[in-house]
Amino acid sequence: MLTLPTTSADSEVVDRLRRRDPRALAELYDRYGRAVYALILRLVRDSAIAEDLVQETFLRVWNRVHAFDAVRGSLGPWLLAIARNRAIDYLRSAAGRERNAFEFEETEHPALFTNMESDLLAADKTRRIKEAMEKLAPNLRNVVELAYFEGLSQSEMAERTGQPLGTVKTWVRTALRNLRNELGLAVAP
Amino acid sequence: MNCDQLRDSYELYAIGLAEDPERAEIRAHLNRGCEVCMEGVKQAMELTALLATTAPPAEPPKKLRGRILASVGAERVGFRWAPIWAAATALALIATVYFAREDRRLQMDAQILRRALSLQSVELTRLTSAFAIVNGPETKEASFGNAQPQPPRGKVFVNPRQGVLLIASNLPPTPAGKMYEMWTIPKGGKPVPAGMFQSRSDGSAMHVRPGSVDVQATAFVAVTVENEAGADQPTSQPIIVAPMTR
Repeated sequence: MLTLPTTSADSEVVDRLRRRDPRALAELYDRYGRAVYALILRLVRDSAIAEDLVQETFLRVWNRVHAFDAVRGSLGPWLLAIARNRAIDYLRSAAGRERNAFEFEETEHPALFTNMESDLLAADKTRRIKEAMEKLAPNLRNVVELAYFEGLSQSEMAERTGQPLGTVKTWVRTALRNLRNELGLAVAP
Repeated sequence: MNCDQLRDSYELYAIGLAEDPERAEIRAHLNRGCEVCMEGVKQAMELTALLATTAPPAEPPKKLRGRILASVGAERVGFRWAPIWAAATALALIATVYFAREDRRLQMDAQILRRALSLQSVELTRLTSAFAIVNGPETKEASFGNAQPQPPRGKVFVNPRQGVLLIASNLPPTPAGKMYEMWTIPKGGKPVPAGMFQSRSDGSAMHVRPGSVDVQATAFVAVTVENEAGADQPTSQPIIVAPMTR
């Protein structure tokens, strides 16, 4: 399982990235390069393609960092969201599936990655998500993985698993709610 | 739809599974700055970020870092020159060792050549002396060994200004620690030492004793076998006796 550095020094890196300091990009890669590569490789399962997509991810950060909140932003989660979107876009394109650039734009919008826990990606949290995944029933864990690591829609999951769409939708909602509760990320009522 | 109705859709939205109308509603709430939905989606984003960390660990190739940095114009020079400098340093070390060895070898070769040149120079001087003696108009010549069954044979040339030249063949090898010693024997006088020499492996020898010689007073040129240190007077019977008075 991956562990990531804390975000305590991310604001300084973001500030330097916005001033176009290439050494800041080197630091960013040293902090998150392994995690980004591992995530993308898990999705595309091809090292050469993964390398291209990792490069694309870091260049996207380099080109869009001006919109990122240097003080309140959480760089790691933002970077991983961009990485996942790049990989899913590749998978959909390779499979001739529908691509939705607008969806990517909104789910990796920098405004959504502010005021997160400073140690969100620290070892303790990553251990807890793994434990939470292991607690899920196999069918629930399977739909989470199909959605997250293969980018399948609920209809595609229904087709893949041979289950009715309604069943898949129920499984997905149940799985995500269980994960949220296990991690103490429940939304305030 | 109100925020409460959208609560269960935040994770779906974050992971990319939300469908309309929930997706459009969440988007609309976010666009109008709905704090409840913004907070809910952010927390859902935290969940998806954590899911990324469940991917099996994998090490990116080392070249990837340089490739990414080069694409924004950084580290290209340092990245490319580092291994070249390392290789150059290693090469320089190898070259230093190699040339130090080569230098020692060349010095030894030069020493051998200098020695050979010195020997050749000595030989050339000897031959020049021998040539001068042989060609001198006042040189007196004598043969030896012709009448004996298995003797050393050869000739002696004596020049009053150039010295004595002995050319011999069929010389037996000397015992260990012994050498041949040449003598000039004046009429009615004691033998005078005229230098030490060794025969070659084929039994031949050429010996020169440079310097002036009283040819008229010399009765014989003789050779005996003596200790390597030489002797003031012969200690053995001569194996060569060349009469100069004939």
